[in-house]
This record gives sequence, structure tokens and C-alpha cells, in this order.
Amino acid sequence: MLALVWALLAAGPARSAEPVTADDWLLKLGPALNMTTYRGVFVYSRGDQVSSMRIAHRYQDGRVEEKLVQQDGANGEILRRGSRVLCVLPEHGRIHLDQVIPSGPFGEAFASQQVPVGAWYQPQLLGEDRVAGYPAVVIGLQPRDEHRFGYRLWMEKHTGLLLKSHVRHNGDVLEHFQFTMLEITDQLPDSEFEIQSGVEVKEITPFLPVADNPGEMDGWALGWQPDGFKPVAAPQASRGQAVAFSDGLATFSVFVEPTGTVEMPQGASRIGATTVYMHYALPAASSGERYLVTVVGEIPPRTAMRVAQSVTVDDRNALVRTLTE
Amino acid sequence: MDDRLRETLSAMMDDQADELAVRRVLSHHDQQAVRDQWQRWQRIRDVIHETPGQHGALDVRAAVSASLDQSHAEADSHREAIRRRHAPWRWSAVAMIALGVAIGFGAGSGWDVVSGDGSDGLVPVQAQVPAAASGVPQVTLQGLDPRQREQVSRYLLEHAQNNSVVAGQGAVGYARLTSMSGAAQGY
Repeated sequence: MLALVWALLAAGPARSAEPVTADDWLLKLGPALNMTTYRGVFVYSRGDQVSSMRIAHRYQDGRVEEKLVQQDGANGEILRRGSRVLCVLPEHGRIHLDQVIPSGPFGEAFASQQVPVGAWYQPQLLGEDRVAGYPAVVIGLQPRDEHRFGYRLWMEKHTGLLLKSHVRHNGDVLEHFQFTMLEITDQLPDSEFEIQSGVEVKEITPFLPVADNPGEMDGWALGWQPDGFKPVAAPQASRGQAVAFSDGLATFSVFVEPTGTVEMPQGASRIGATTVYMHYALPAASSGERYLVTVVGEIPPRTAMRVAQSVTVDDRNALVRTLTE
Repeated sequence: MDDRLRETLSAMMDDQADELAVRRVLSHHDQQAVRDQWQRWQRIRDVIHETPGQHGALDVRAAVSASLDQSHAEADSHREAIRRRHAPWRWSAVAMIALGVAIGFGAGSGWDVVSGDGSDGLVPVQAQVPAAASGVPQVTLQGLDPRQREQVSRYLLEHAQNNSVVAGQGAVGYARLTSMSGAAQGY
């Protein structure tokens, strides 16, 4: 009985602090993704590809643990413990992939709460809905210019956990994430985060060192990017250079590398919300050597094209030098 | 490391280097740079292929020299020797897609089919193309050859990795996240 009273007292203030505006809800989004404990199954689709994954996620003693199990095709598993990530592909052994795997299906888009998205998207409370058995509020994020896509987010009413999301353009859904089964709980047993035995463990050094100076472009320059996109920490590219930009929701990467042995077509391709735009650039002091500029990101094709075409290569030696550093 | 050398290393990775080019790598003045670049690519390749880390202490000079010697002894083409030797590391689009799917990105798979009439820009099967896309030159991915597809897959995977670093910053913990919430630039 006493416990019940305590529970009610504890729940009281939390309930009264329930967000009321779309902005309030958005502030809750990032924390809820990490600090909610839950297990379930979600589907993720973009283009004509649909995949589903089983997920268990817990927040305990200040640490996030997460296990994702692919439900279709190859039976891959991903286990995250804090910042460490273990990838299991049973047929082929097991490999640590520190910093390689995103922090979950929403990691790429929604974890960067430090950027004020309100400047580039118009948030709007669209109503209420129900997803995977849980009541949800629906938040719309309308882009304020034509350089980015819109979002629609379904957030669980009490925890703020993201239950469903759309990347949208003109009413079309380009990318879709949704829980189909979900249990939000207080705790999950350790057994949920164990990896089956009998598979060889292989650990490797992280192979993608994070650049010291995010957005640094040695030997080339970006002439244009949509307002609000800031350089973010990015790993080195395997060849040439890569720089990533984010506006808090959308991210795009720019790759610049000397022309390799493969001649690539120029233009845009799209999978779901992700555009790839390839473009050959000539250095300012033309030596006849071309550079392949590739823009990949969750941005419209025209935006990717403008970004790619704005790249100028002005110091060939600097670009080549960084390949060995 | 100069452009051609880098290209040769890349070609070796793809089993496409000729012997002259490989000898040039072996005689390059900065062997450390050559080794580092080679090993870095190999780690990526191993991850893609889930190949246990044979690269750990691999010396590119020793490995390639061995390949060359072998090829001479057998009067075989050097290229074939390299190909056999490195076959397990072969960077394939299929493997990248497998990993991509496993991590939920579907890198390289599930591409929208883009119509080629050129009048209304990109027209994927799934959804109407953004109106802003008209006038954007288009690439039909179905029309790419395997090596071009591999390269596109690589960009997709590296972009996903870029995203993972962005996300990783936010996922370390609430405290770290909120401590940066005042700084719009982050990091």
C-alpha cells in the first residue's frame, strides 16, 4: 500500500510535466530514444525494400544496451553496449564494429538534438493516434525550404518513445519506420542482451578514425549548402575525403576523390529518402585530372545536385596528401 | 602518396593491378604510408566480408612479393596469383548489401526504378518524384555494371557510417547530449 502511494506521488509531477506543444515533444525525443527500456519488433522501409528487426533496449546504471536481430533474410544481430558495438553474422563469425553501426533505427536522424531544428522545420502537433498498442501524439515537421524533406513522428504519450516515423515529400512517404510489436517496461533481464554461444569472436581496431576537425576540407571547397547544415564529425573515407553535414534531422555526406579505375555515370539516384548524386569536377588549375564528387544523403535530388556542383577542387596536392595521413 | 600509387593500391585491392604497377608500389619510398593505406582498406574489406583479421600483421611488401614470386615460379600471370591470394577479401557489392541490410540500411538494395524518359526528371516506382527534381540528370542504378554498383554501395555504406558517428555522439548519454544542447554547432 505504501509502495502504491509512493508510486502515485512519484508519478504525479511527471504527469503534470507532460509536453503540450510540438516543441516540447521534440525536446523529449532524443532522451526518450536512449532512456526508455523496451522490447519489440519494428519494420523499416525505403524504396521498395522492407525489413523488420527485433529490438531489445534498456537503460540501466546510465548505460544503454541494445540488441537488434534481423528478422528477414540473413540472420544478423547487432549488440550495442554503451559506445561499443558487436555485430553477429552467425555463418561468418563475429566482428566488433565500434563506431560503425548506428545507435538504432532512429539514430541517424533523431539523436542529434543539439541542433535547433525549429529554424529549418515548422513543428506542428497533428493529433493523436495509436501505434503497436500504445497511444501516440503525432508531430509534423514541415521543411521551411525546398532543400530538405519533411518528417512525421509518432511519439508514445507517456515516455516520448518514437513509435513510428515518416520521411515525407509532398504527401508521399519516402521512408517509413514503425513498431508493430512493443512492450515498454521498467527492466529487461540480462539474457535479452546476450549473444548465443558457439560463434567465434573477432575484435578489430576501429577502422574509421573520427576526423579531428569536423568539416575540414583540405584541397577542396563547398560553394553552397542549404542553410542550417553544419559540418559534423565524420570518419575518414576509405579513399579521398568525406565530410558530413547535418541540420539536426537530415544528414548528407560529400565524398571527393581522384578519379579511380571505374568510370561512374553522372547524375542522381534515389532510394527512399536517400539520394546519391555523382559529379565530376575539374581542379581550378586544370591538369586534366578529374575528381569524382559524390553527395549521399537524406535530401532531395536537386539539393544534392546543387551541393555536388558547388564543389571546387583547388589544391590537388593537399587532397592527395591527406590520403596517407 | 601520389595519385597513381593510390590508384594502384586500389587496383590491387580490386585484383586489377598489373605487375609493373605493383612493382612500383614495392619500390615506393614511403613504405609505411603504403602499408597503412593498404591495411586500412583491408580492415574495411574484412569487416565487409567478415573475414577474420588476417591483415593484423600483414606486410604489404611481403605479401605482394610472395605473390609475385609465386606467379613467376608458376609462369602464371601475376594478376591471377594476386586474385587467388586475395580472393577471400574480394570486395563485393553483395557482401556490402548483406551488411547494409543487417544494419538496417539496405545499402545498395531496394533502389527505386527510375524511368528514363527525361521529361519529368526522376520518377521512381514507389513515390512521385520531388517536383524540385525536374532538370536533375538521373542515373538508373539498374543500368550500372557490377563495379559501378560496388562503388555506389561503398558511398552508401560510408554515409551510413557518417550517420553512425553523428548518432553515436547523441547516444553516449543524456548528460552529454544535454550538455551540448546549448551549442548549436555541437562537437
